[in-house]
Amino acid sequence: MAMGTAKPMLRLFALLVLALGVAAALWAGWQAPLGAALFRLDPGLLNTAQAGIQRHVSPWLWDAVVLPVLEQPVWLVPAILAGLLLLLGALGRRR
Amino acid sequence: MLIRRRRGWEIPEREATPEHLAFGRRAVMKAAGGAALAGAGGLALPEPAAAAYSLPPVTRNSRYQPDRDITAEREVTTYNNYYEFGSQKSIWQAAQRLPLQPWTLRVEGMVDNPREFGLEDLLRQMPLEERLYRLRCVEAWSVVVPWTGFPIAALLKLVGPQASAKYLRFETAALPGIMPGLRQSWYPWPYTEGCTIEEAANDLSFMVVGAYGKPLPPQNGGPVRFHQPWKYGFKAGKSLVRIVLTDQRPKTFWEAIQPQEYGFWANVNPQVPHPRWSQATERVVGTGERVPTQLFNGYAEFVADLYTNLQGERLWA
Repeated sequence: MAMGTAKPMLRLFALLVLALGVAAALWAGWQAPLGAALFRLDPGLLNTAQAGIQRHVSPWLWDAVVLPVLEQPVWLVPAILAGLLLLLGALGRRR
Repeated sequence: MLIRRRRGWEIPEREATPEHLAFGRRAVMKAAGGAALAGAGGLALPEPAAAAYSLPPVTRNSRYQPDRDITAEREVTTYNNYYEFGSQKSIWQAAQRLPLQPWTLRVEGMVDNPREFGLEDLLRQMPLEERLYRLRCVEAWSVVVPWTGFPIAALLKLVGPQASAKYLRFETAALPGIMPGLRQSWYPWPYTEGCTIEEAANDLSFMVVGAYGKPLPPQNGGPVRFHQPWKYGFKAGKSLVRIVLTDQRPKTFWEAIQPQEYGFWANVNPQVPHPRWSQATERVVGTGERVPTQLFNGYAEFVADLYTNLQGERLWA
């Protein structure tokens, strides 16, 4: 893909992720942890993901890495992801 | 004039340690070093959280024979599922933070005499014995443990279940400052399990307060847990604080999360696979040997009758 089309795509993707985060916060509550929102969406999802990660990737990864992420407010992870995407787009523009 | 300057390592003869004491200390240090090496190699047993209570000597009930060697204590006390302390098997150290004393167990609900038992009261009033039980985990591994405890029927006799009581609901302690697993606030804590009053009345249904002749360590569900050996291990509530007799079938912890995988009945059956793995065989912890799993975990002669009129239920998951 040409750099000229990649940058607008990145910005668009960032806005979509941000919108998803806002929508999730409106649905689950601004203070709700990401894990609570996912559990509400599908109660078995996190347990299945945990079993898969621990059996096929690493037993410690869930408690040490994934769990702290799931404890964050539902909007925070999409907001950080959107910020990174926007930053990536901005860095590309300077080159 | 000769001025003699002592070097740092030179001390007067009078300050030297006598030979017999020095060699005695070396023997102690040698033993300590050996213990440390044993620990590094995974040979040391976990230290108990505290000497919370003591168990009187008990006799072994010869009625229940596991037909398999007892699993080494070290294996049973260091390979544990206790979700409140973490999702891995190596939670035994984290579990040592659970204070086992004072501890109370309330038995209430549809009973004539609701009671709150201190641990010492419970041990004094209950007919303690030792039983060798197989424990079959839903994850397809198993152990054989010498439990110390008493039939739950003896406890129910003290509180007098009412005729309307149909189920028992078991609640595990939920201590957010001590149990890191409770950070997963989206799960339906406290850990809740349940069984029917007919299942509880079966002599195999055992309240456990010890293992290997010692007080039950926290990682195994101390100070008091439940065990029905014909069911998968997750049905056994650990570190119990409350038992409620009710006419409503309890919504159990895992049933609320994954009802297709961990149901209310959860009787062991090698013919009915878990959605993600077979239940036909099990790995014996300690030896690594794979052995065939038995219907009702080998206890069919004692419990199969409980389910003859329940064929419409999902008895095996």
